[in-house]
Amino acid sequence: MDLTFTPHQQEFRAEVRDWLAANAPAEPLPSMDTAEGFERHREWEHRLAEARLAVVSWPEEYGGRGADLIDWLIFEEEYWASGAPGRVSQNGIFLLAPTLMAYGTDEQKRRHLPRMARADDVWAQAWSEPESGSDLASLRATARPDGDGVGWRLNGQKTWSSRAVHADWCFGLFRTDPESERHRGLTYFMLPLETEGVTVRPIAQLDGEHGFAEIFFDDVYVPGDGVLGELGQGWKVAMATTSSERGLTLRSPGRFMATADRLLELARESDDQTLRDAAVEAWTDSEAYRLHTFRAAARLAEGIELGADSSLMKVFWSELDLRMHELALELLGPQAPVAGRWLDGFLFALAGPIYAGTNEIQRNIIAERVLGLPR
Amino acid sequence: MRFSFTEDQRLLAETVREVLDKACPPETVRAAGEPEQESVRPGPAWRALAEVGLLGAHIPEEHGGLGMTALDTVLAYEETGWYAVPGPLVETAVAAPLLVPAEHLAGIAAGTVTVSVRPACTPYLPDADVADLLVAGSAVVPRAGVTLTPHASVDATRKLFTVDLDAGPGGEEAFDRAALATAAQLVGLGRRLREEAVGYAGQRRQFGKVIGSFQALKHQLADVAIALEFAAPLVYRAAYSLTHGAPTAGRDVSAAKTAASRAAHRAARTALQVHGAIGYTDELDLQLWLNRVWALRPAWGDDGLHRARLRAALLDGPYEPRSVRLP
Repeated sequence: MDLTFTPHQQEFRAEVRDWLAANAPAEPLPSMDTAEGFERHREWEHRLAEARLAVVSWPEEYGGRGADLIDWLIFEEEYWASGAPGRVSQNGIFLLAPTLMAYGTDEQKRRHLPRMARADDVWAQAWSEPESGSDLASLRATARPDGDGVGWRLNGQKTWSSRAVHADWCFGLFRTDPESERHRGLTYFMLPLETEGVTVRPIAQLDGEHGFAEIFFDDVYVPGDGVLGELGQGWKVAMATTSSERGLTLRSPGRFMATADRLLELARESDDQTLRDAAVEAWTDSEAYRLHTFRAAARLAEGIELGADSSLMKVFWSELDLRMHELALELLGPQAPVAGRWLDGFLFALAGPIYAGTNEIQRNIIAERVLGLPR
Repeated sequence: MRFSFTEDQRLLAETVREVLDKACPPETVRAAGEPEQESVRPGPAWRALAEVGLLGAHIPEEHGGLGMTALDTVLAYEETGWYAVPGPLVETAVAAPLLVPAEHLAGIAAGTVTVSVRPACTPYLPDADVADLLVAGSAVVPRAGVTLTPHASVDATRKLFTVDLDAGPGGEEAFDRAALATAAQLVGLGRRLREEAVGYAGQRRQFGKVIGSFQALKHQLADVAIALEFAAPLVYRAAYSLTHGAPTAGRDVSAAKTAASRAAHRAARTALQVHGAIGYTDELDLQLWLNRVWALRPAWGDDGLHRARLRAALLDGPYEPRSVRLP
């Protein structure tokens, strides 16, 4: 076991820290769920990309540095500690990109990844449907072969699509085999949201912002190269990367370490012993998440797949994040309702146990795949 | 940055597991609770641990030990928790080497000298009836001739005694090392309880189905898995900090002990709930691991003591955010 960083890693950390100190906006940007805030966040992504800091773990040809997982974790620690803006491109760079790198054709990778890295294209996801939330495999949106013999016609409705109001492209699952049921007969599609027949209807969130949207598909044409991976293998394609790095990259420890460190600052000012102890416990949990991630990185380096571990991690970080924000609001007391960043963070943290597979679904996965209990 | 164990460290744990699987079945643990334990003395598990070197692991080579670090043995201590090894193991093999005169070290490594240790935070000496030496703070005395007062304790297989011995404070390093080994044992106990609960949930049938297929139990067991999964890295980190003399070692040990205690307690509560009434019996072996959790949780610093140390480190003194300071 070696918990020190190499000179190279320390240099990289210093570079990231110095660059962020010099370049990160001094004031928080407007919400990325407003038109103005979205474009400001996109500009910020351009600056990150110019410093080749947007996607450090990607290959150089797509805008990255070919950095390993440890470097990426270092980047994340520095990024969140600096208070830099949230990542408007995150659905693309963390959810789609690993799948694209694993299953995309060379042409698809060349076309999409560099633009994604620069946030020239911001991607929204199109998974859930009004009748298919946790039970995603019941989805009904369809894709049928077009008369031209190469393209597809998409029909149906997707919902809870984060950032879709202002995003450029979307990716998601559609049923290509009308006779199929459940996980079979689904195909992974990518298409521009500007395509004729696509209607995006904003949904106001708990905070009043249009953070997510419904997407209606009315006979939308998608060319053949809009299919990612094999026809009918969409479920496998979408899930395949969960046991690899994506299990780690959905939420890195840096974000929660930064929150826990800020929580300690509040607790240091408090004489409420219950809240002080709770803050210390939350800090300990953020440390546990960091160490667990380093351990998972070591396992991946040894060639061991994470498997359902990503479900353990998702429950842990989402509940930790929410608990830390609840605690912060308690520590702030009468100031809580006007506590800007903490309040925004609390509202965002509330969604954590819901998105990316609810924590109830994750607990089922843990019980069945980690503990081996019967379905 | 490489958060993993060496082949040798894993091998020691596997070896300990193998020998304890034979030498420390539940009957052996249960026997340690019998009143005639004093005549039994440390039993087959103790001899097995001497043979594989765990008793001498923290004793220098010139005294017949292996001169190992906390990092070398932390996985092995998890295994001793899994099997609920009876006898003052952490006291003899982890704390005592730092507290008793060198003349006793060879005996400890060989398994012929056992030691009970009382840290300053408790009035009780565990397993003092089977110990050759008693350590209380700075005092080290042979048990023979000392009057032991027994106290009925939650864990019949880990008897507690008081003695009339006044002494100054004990060693801080010994305390941290013993607290770490106890935390590792709690993780091992928690894993054993998880295993027992999952096994039972997978075979017990009610309403025509195995109860492990019910979501209400699945989610409780998933929470046990999560608690144990995230307690273990804190324990390994504390072992690393102690091994390298890191300035954060005390804080890291306290983080490890509180997290391991909480996780093991959750595992115990859930395992009992999953078993239902049969779990609440003396007859079922489950009680051996349940009671050991409740005995070890306050051992080598209860949660309150370790929380206070964490508060002191994180809230009362200077604190630098983690990304600034390298681990």
